[in-house]
Amino acid sequence: MTRLPRLSPAPRPRPLVAGHARRLALLLTMLLAMLLSAPLAMAASPRIATLDWTLAETLQALGTPPAAVAQIEAYHDWVGEPRLPESVSDLGLRNQPNLELLADLDPDRILTSAMFANLTPRLSRIAPVENFSLYSPGQDTWKEMRQLTRGVAAVVDRPEAAEQLISDTEARLVELQRTLPDDVAPLLVVQFMDARHVRVFGDNGLYQAIMKRLGLENAWPGDTNAWGFSLVGLEELADLDARLVVVEPYPAGVRDALAQSGLWQGLKRQSQGEPLVLPPVWSFGALPSAQRFAEQLTTALEAADAR
Amino acid sequence: MLARLVRLAPLLRLSPGIACSLLCLACMALASSNLVEAAGLLAGLKALFGSADAGMDALVLHFSWWPRLMMSLLAGGGLALAGVLMQQVLRNPLAAPTTLGVASGANLALMATTLMAPGLLVVGREWVALLGGGLAMGLVFALAWRRGLAPVVVVLGGLVVNLYLGALGIVLLLFHQQELKGLLIWGAGSLAQNDWSGVAFLAPRLLLGALAAWLLLRPLAVLELDDASARSLGVSLRNLRLAGLGLAVFLTGCVVSVVGVIGFIGLAAPNIVRLAGARRLGPRLLWSTLLGALLLATTDQLLQRYSGQVSGLVPTGAVTATLGAPLLIWLIPRLKLRGDQPPAGATAPTGRHHAPLRLAGGLAIGLLAISVVALLVGQTAGGWSWQPPADWDVLQWRLPRVLASAGCGVMLALAGTLIQRVTANPMASPEVLGISGGSAIALILAIFLLPSPDNLTLVGIGTLGAMASLAILIIFNGRSGLLPERLLLTGVAITAAFDGVRAIVMAGGDPRGQQVIAWLSGSTYYVDLTSGLVVLGLALLLALASSPLARWLDILPLGAATSRALGLDLNRSRLLLLLLVALLTAAATLVVGPLSFVGLLAPHLARLLGFSRAGMHLLGAALTGALLMVLADWVGRQLLFPQEIPAGIVASLLGGAYFMWGLRRL
Repeated sequence: MTRLPRLSPAPRPRPLVAGHARRLALLLTMLLAMLLSAPLAMAASPRIATLDWTLAETLQALGTPPAAVAQIEAYHDWVGEPRLPESVSDLGLRNQPNLELLADLDPDRILTSAMFANLTPRLSRIAPVENFSLYSPGQDTWKEMRQLTRGVAAVVDRPEAAEQLISDTEARLVELQRTLPDDVAPLLVVQFMDARHVRVFGDNGLYQAIMKRLGLENAWPGDTNAWGFSLVGLEELADLDARLVVVEPYPAGVRDALAQSGLWQGLKRQSQGEPLVLPPVWSFGALPSAQRFAEQLTTALEAADAR
Repeated sequence: MLARLVRLAPLLRLSPGIACSLLCLACMALASSNLVEAAGLLAGLKALFGSADAGMDALVLHFSWWPRLMMSLLAGGGLALAGVLMQQVLRNPLAAPTTLGVASGANLALMATTLMAPGLLVVGREWVALLGGGLAMGLVFALAWRRGLAPVVVVLGGLVVNLYLGALGIVLLLFHQQELKGLLIWGAGSLAQNDWSGVAFLAPRLLLGALAAWLLLRPLAVLELDDASARSLGVSLRNLRLAGLGLAVFLTGCVVSVVGVIGFIGLAAPNIVRLAGARRLGPRLLWSTLLGALLLATTDQLLQRYSGQVSGLVPTGAVTATLGAPLLIWLIPRLKLRGDQPPAGATAPTGRHHAPLRLAGGLAIGLLAISVVALLVGQTAGGWSWQPPADWDVLQWRLPRVLASAGCGVMLALAGTLIQRVTANPMASPEVLGISGGSAIALILAIFLLPSPDNLTLVGIGTLGAMASLAILIIFNGRSGLLPERLLLTGVAITAAFDGVRAIVMAGGDPRGQQVIAWLSGSTYYVDLTSGLVVLGLALLLALASSPLARWLDILPLGAATSRALGLDLNRSRLLLLLLVALLTAAATLVVGPLSFVGLLAPHLARLLGFSRAGMHLLGAALTGALLMVLADWVGRQLLFPQEIPAGIVASLLGGAYFMWGLRRL
């Protein structure tokens, strides 16, 4: 603001232009004032604390970063994008957030998910708690994801941002689906725990929801736990007729071990096409993670098709 | 020894050879029926030799089923061989890879490496495991060195090192759940294979080890003589022992780095062979190795056959540990132990304070001061701060935790004092005797099997578990008159069973497993004001209940004859006291988990301070216990702020260190 008067005088001293310049300066001042007032309006939206990374990711994507999140360092390792700003406070462990600190930060609302339901009575002594669920067994995950986004947006009073995020994501998914190669084989999405055991993803998880959205088939017929995966030995993947999709990261040393593993080489040969390797995506995430996974999967499928 | 074996002979008319053949037949029957189910016998056998042009079924058999069978044979044989060597060198029938802490040392080393220098794992997991295992065993030896590596002291040292490293492991796990997921599976001992590389790694090394053992056979046999006669034969005892133990650690390290922690094979196989009548070292080495191989292979085949009915992964190593515990409990009364007398030193009377009441008053003031600090001093978003006492906003979070930790400290300290006095055993405590472990097993089962158990049910079930542990302790040691060492060894076995159950739960990845980890770590986090008040109230009530029993406690350690002469009904008084111990332990375990050493530490500190008569000892220990727990809780909350280290873990790291120090001085 203070710099404006110095900027505004036009170099030529003609009266007519000077009048213009004054009006221009006024206009610029008003514009700047509007720009400055926007963050002020945002600051007036409620201060939110959340334990759940999925909700943190959604808040960030809605343009209303949370005030406090649990295990921020681990969030950046496992969720990655969108990154949280420096100003967000760390609450400690997700299962045991530091209650004193939380009370001291005095948030307006606390958002949690079913995983932390046992903390609700305690948290509600600090601020009203709102519980969101995602990946409930038997529910349409995509519908739940929309509900969750709208619900979170309602808490921060930005319903229009939710609609924007939903329509952007869905439009992008439609676009991506169009670029998919024809007749993609059923996919088997795994993540390595060590060289002999994998998590294989199925119902109640993000990967499954996206594949369904993109019209792709998941080849895992077995049950999954409440987190949407099942822990199995590599040999159990043997009779499945599918294309393997490996989600990074590999634990240390596993890549080398797999290069020598006869069973893995056999599985690779059996896979419908070279296995796809995707960078890490938070497997319990919401719309932002969903879109990232969709982008990566589509890109990988296209690249494999072009080869 | 001889007399015992003669008495056992009608029971066990088994020679080692017959035992092995029987087991071999069982194993082959199981394996071939598994094979028939998978692909048919002929196709299955063909798959062993090649997979080049075969289908996926044959591929799985070739790269997964057969290597797994070979691996179970190799790992079992290797561990049993290591067990025989350790037992021979230490002249200790209870020495084994798991009881000496080698396995848990390797486990912790791998965890730490995964977090801090994952690059090292690529260079060689086995060297990391070897180093960790070697260091842990070194620590156990350092603890037992002064007592000339007496069997019981070695095993006790191993138990504490195991618990201590386990507690450190839980701290790492709490803060790095995601990164360490893979290691949980490994740590529980899964034999799953997907190529021949594991077998190719292990086979030549074990062969080398077996060869070295064969070369050492004659010199090692000399160790059966006593030291003087051995020396007179011109053998360097120290070099011989080092060579034998080094070989055993090498074998263990190799096995552990490939398949993880596999409990009890190394302990059970050599002892079964010995009980079956093999006495000379040569046959014992041979038959133990064979028996160990067959034991593990049979267990694994059984598990492959029936684990399909359980969802998720059931790791073989944890199962053998759980199944092995009853075997160990059965074995203990049948073993001849060198130095079968109570560890002296620690019972030596310490200075007796002339005015114990004044001392107790001082302790109470100390407790009050610590509590005030824990209530009013702490960190907030803006750094350290001192809260005005009337600020309920902050106190509402701190008060329940101070109350609960004080209550648990009192209860564990009382339980420890009671059990130490009843058994006249200075190293006894709810944790070391497996009473906490038994209570924890019962609670884990309750969490998994009951739909939504409330706290009262959990206290009841926990008490039942603690009482079951006590019953086992008494039934299996009653005839030998509750000899301190045997009692402790039975406790080691119960604790081992608990470790197995814990490993199975944690490897499965069930969401309730997370709850169990959180609870096992023993945090006062979940206590609210009402339950905090209840815990402290219960503690005070039970403390009042135990004070009239102080006279018994003064009399009981004087021995059975004296007690009876003084008109004490021995059985009834012991039973009542032990019931009280069970109740105290269960209630405290429910809040701070099974891992704290406060039950051991508080009675000792109280004695060191000069509380010697039973009544005063109880009072002093209760105050000390409360002080320790409140301190541990506060330190745990501040150390890694805003993350909280559970009070139980902090207390066990403190208490474990004290126990090791005490053991070293024995």
